[in-house]
Amino acid sequence: MRFKNLELRIENSKLHLLLNDFKAVFLFFVICVTAIEVKAAGLDGIERSVVMMRGTGQEFDFVTPWKPKGMGQGVGSGFIIEGNKILTNAHNVSNNKYLELQKQEVAKRYSAKVAFIGHDCDLALLTVDDNSFFDNTVPLEIAAELPGVNTAVETYGFPMGGRRISVTKGIVSRVQMDVYAHTGADSHLVIQTDAAINPGNSGGPVMQEGKLVGVAFQGLRQAENIGYMIPTTVIRHFLDDINDGKYDGFGSLGVMLYPGLHNPGYRDYLKVPANKQGIVIIETLMHSSAESVLKSGDVLTQVDQYTIDNDGRVDIYGLKMDLSEAIETRQIGEKVELSFYRDGKLMKGSVTVALNRPIFEIARQYDINPRYVCMAGLIFVPATRNYLESWGPEWIKDIPFYLRYMFRNSMQLNTDRERKEYVVLSEIMPDEINAYADEFKSEIIESINGLKINELSDVQKAIEKPDTNFYTIKFMGKDRPLIIDAKEAQKRQSEILAKYDIPKQAMLGE
Amino acid sequence: MKTENQVIRISGKQDYKRTFVFFALIFWFLIIICSLANASVREEMKESLVYLEISSYGYDQLRPWKNTDVEQKSGVGCATGAYHVITPAWNVTDAKLIRAKVSGQNDYIGVTIKTIDYEVDLALLELDAKMMKKPLRPLRFDDKFERGAKLNYYWLNPDAEITTGQGYMDRAELLRSAVSYSHLLNLIVTNTSQETGIGQVFCEGMRVLGISCWSKGTNEAGLIPSVIIKSFLSRAKNINYPGVPVTGFATEALLDPAMRKYLKLPSNISNGVLVTKVYNIGTGSDLLKKNDVILEIEGEEIDAYGKFLHHTYDRIGYQYLISNQKIRDNINFDVWRDGSRQEIRLQAKNFDVGEMFVPFYEWGQQPEYVVIGGYVFQKLTRAYLTNWGKDWEGKVTPHLFHYYNDMAFKPTLQRREIVILSYVLPSQINLGYTDLSQVVVSKFNGMPISRIGDIIKAQKLNPDDKYDVVEFELDNPKLVIPRQQIQQANTIVSNNYGITKLVHINH
Repeated sequence: MRFKNLELRIENSKLHLLLNDFKAVFLFFVICVTAIEVKAAGLDGIERSVVMMRGTGQEFDFVTPWKPKGMGQGVGSGFIIEGNKILTNAHNVSNNKYLELQKQEVAKRYSAKVAFIGHDCDLALLTVDDNSFFDNTVPLEIAAELPGVNTAVETYGFPMGGRRISVTKGIVSRVQMDVYAHTGADSHLVIQTDAAINPGNSGGPVMQEGKLVGVAFQGLRQAENIGYMIPTTVIRHFLDDINDGKYDGFGSLGVMLYPGLHNPGYRDYLKVPANKQGIVIIETLMHSSAESVLKSGDVLTQVDQYTIDNDGRVDIYGLKMDLSEAIETRQIGEKVELSFYRDGKLMKGSVTVALNRPIFEIARQYDINPRYVCMAGLIFVPATRNYLESWGPEWIKDIPFYLRYMFRNSMQLNTDRERKEYVVLSEIMPDEINAYADEFKSEIIESINGLKINELSDVQKAIEKPDTNFYTIKFMGKDRPLIIDAKEAQKRQSEILAKYDIPKQAMLGE
Repeated sequence: MKTENQVIRISGKQDYKRTFVFFALIFWFLIIICSLANASVREEMKESLVYLEISSYGYDQLRPWKNTDVEQKSGVGCATGAYHVITPAWNVTDAKLIRAKVSGQNDYIGVTIKTIDYEVDLALLELDAKMMKKPLRPLRFDDKFERGAKLNYYWLNPDAEITTGQGYMDRAELLRSAVSYSHLLNLIVTNTSQETGIGQVFCEGMRVLGISCWSKGTNEAGLIPSVIIKSFLSRAKNINYPGVPVTGFATEALLDPAMRKYLKLPSNISNGVLVTKVYNIGTGSDLLKKNDVILEIEGEEIDAYGKFLHHTYDRIGYQYLISNQKIRDNINFDVWRDGSRQEIRLQAKNFDVGEMFVPFYEWGQQPEYVVIGGYVFQKLTRAYLTNWGKDWEGKVTPHLFHYYNDMAFKPTLQRREIVILSYVLPSQINLGYTDLSQVVVSKFNGMPISRIGDIIKAQKLNPDDKYDVVEFELDNPKLVIPRQQIQQANTIVSNNYGITKLVHINH
């Protein structure tokens, strides 16, 4: 049985609080409340820049993708930055159908548009066509540095859908890398505060000495007084990224690393001098530029100006941070210079920062119309995390084995350079032509009539081949193929599409 | 007329009364007979059943140098000889001490396992004759099978008192037992009075039809039928118990007309089951091919579900036609292969569970392991994986589950077992590696690891090297173990973690 994603809807609040799989991290709209300090009268510059957003969203169905799911409405927070733009969380405006903004003291609602959205960093930039929206507002200035640990910060927002801005104070407890719950897979720097958390006002600014130091975005469910904000390093990366008119995302080196030099034997075996620190390359990712530069057993000691220690950390922003933080100072397409040891020799090389996503996308996706192909009532879709989450909160345990195996290990198991994704038989729309296909549901397609299925469009290519008596569909880990009478399937196709209100045979995206 | 009618009516009443009295007497008589018969069966059963008290002492799969806590189980033994009883093998897995109680004797009697076959889930136990006041009365086993028949069942409770229950024969089915990898004939009894499953003896009158080996509450109970018991007892007479033939392939129902057409099966052939996997061990592993359609076995027509019409048990799985043969007997198969009907003669085979790539069980055996410098290497078994508890299949490392799920029956000459680094016992020597776990060993000092014993051989390779180097599957770091430090580290690890023996290898 399948269940929808665990989704806690907050009364009067749009935000989908998506439970992270690995940590019970949740996204929130409200940052509270060690000391609530709602200012009684008059708005200072900051408060004039904080806006309430009301959004209407509609999720996609990743099993039968032509059917949109129910709509949801909610309230979130955002704030005005330089250039008459509004910054907020991506999860406030994901899968958005309509968005309006409101200022605290103005009884007018303004229609807004999402100009850029970065799901991997949970940030979005909005625009408002009506310039009067920006009257009497002051863009918030982004602080040059990260706030220090144990320094005070103020968070602004509209908790629990309240109509008045709430201002709360907290202390910066920790700065570290953590998973962003919005996609459930991307890790970036986060700043932890000790503010008690109530669901409500994600996207609100976190201020220190009148400057923006973060965007409130998620909290830890099983702990009290642990809330997180997106730091300015991530905000700047996002804003720099969109300067060229499109959002590319956060890149990586495309390597798998292991902190192996803690072991003197391993260090000696790898011939790394005793006075050097670094991190061991276990493998390079297929298609990454690192593939031609690095190899398994190399020891990475420096990236650009950052020296890497045995834990794989670098000194950055006056803190010890994961190496990935140094890479995240770069945009996709930029090169980084590497120093590494190979067989006792110090080598140099450069690698281009790239997305380097796994074949089986482990991040939750938004704002993308799910693709599908329908043939003989069989629905083929790309295997994505969104699809897997249709099994409900315990999806990782409940999904069929091969989906779990590929989800966990696609980077190691896939040796096919042509493969772009895995394709799965997501649903069977019952018809006499597919009456015996049930056992193949939720299995990964290997080939159709000998054509290897490396992406969804290959399914379409395979079924369009003329002069075929049968569609022989082979599945990963299944010992028997599914056989469909091709001529009969072609005859019945239009009837099946009509019967189940499937608008077209295939939706392959761009 | 009126008078006549009255006379007739009176006469009718008298007939009715007479008839009623006659049948009432017959009924009472039958009840008395049945009661006496039941009482008689009950009395006789006292002399044929034993209560078994089993102390099991297995091994901790995650700390294989250590035993689990002692577990006390109870079971029922059913007399097959003066001093012999049978019981489900499941009752006596990992048994260290078995004691029996018999009716009319207070003291325990020592018991030893004479023969055990986990594939038929039966154990033949021998009672210490010297400790018994009188011999047991062997029971007779009967192959009778009648759907809906009311059965009585019997067992001795811990006080050695005979206890009874009732149930109804429902159907015959081929099932895997809790301890087996092959399918065996079970008789399914419904609506039993109590939960059973520990060897209770099910009878129709004095005829023993089977002993219970599992139950789902009181809804259903599974019986090991007499036909299986008798052949087990027959095989157990051999000095070397030969075992029961098992299938070396897997099949799936062949219902889909498109699939049948694809296999070029003519329309006049509507039966046959599809071979989907051919293993490397077991009956048919050498001659059957994937996509063969089994049409007949030993002249019996196999339907699309893989069943045949048995003269006694109605439709049951084709595996019965293999398991009821003797090892090395020839079995005739008619298969549809590559568009034509072909006859194949297979030899009935079985295999030891230890031959499996990922053995399903290792009852009574200490798991194999090697501890080197705190690195715990183990042989992968199903018993190991099930330590992840309920829903273990969804929780265990997928790569390990892949070997169990897809490869368990496919050992090769090059690779006979899966050896894993189970986890690391933290110590100075393994600094930096302590988080490494659940990874499959591919090479040790450059030598491909086919079985766990190879680790010991591989340690002797490259004698001039400073390090033992272990490689794993799926992009894991190499493990580098300084050889000079191993001995000292082993001593420290043994002392710290209470490991009395660092290596246990059976082969």
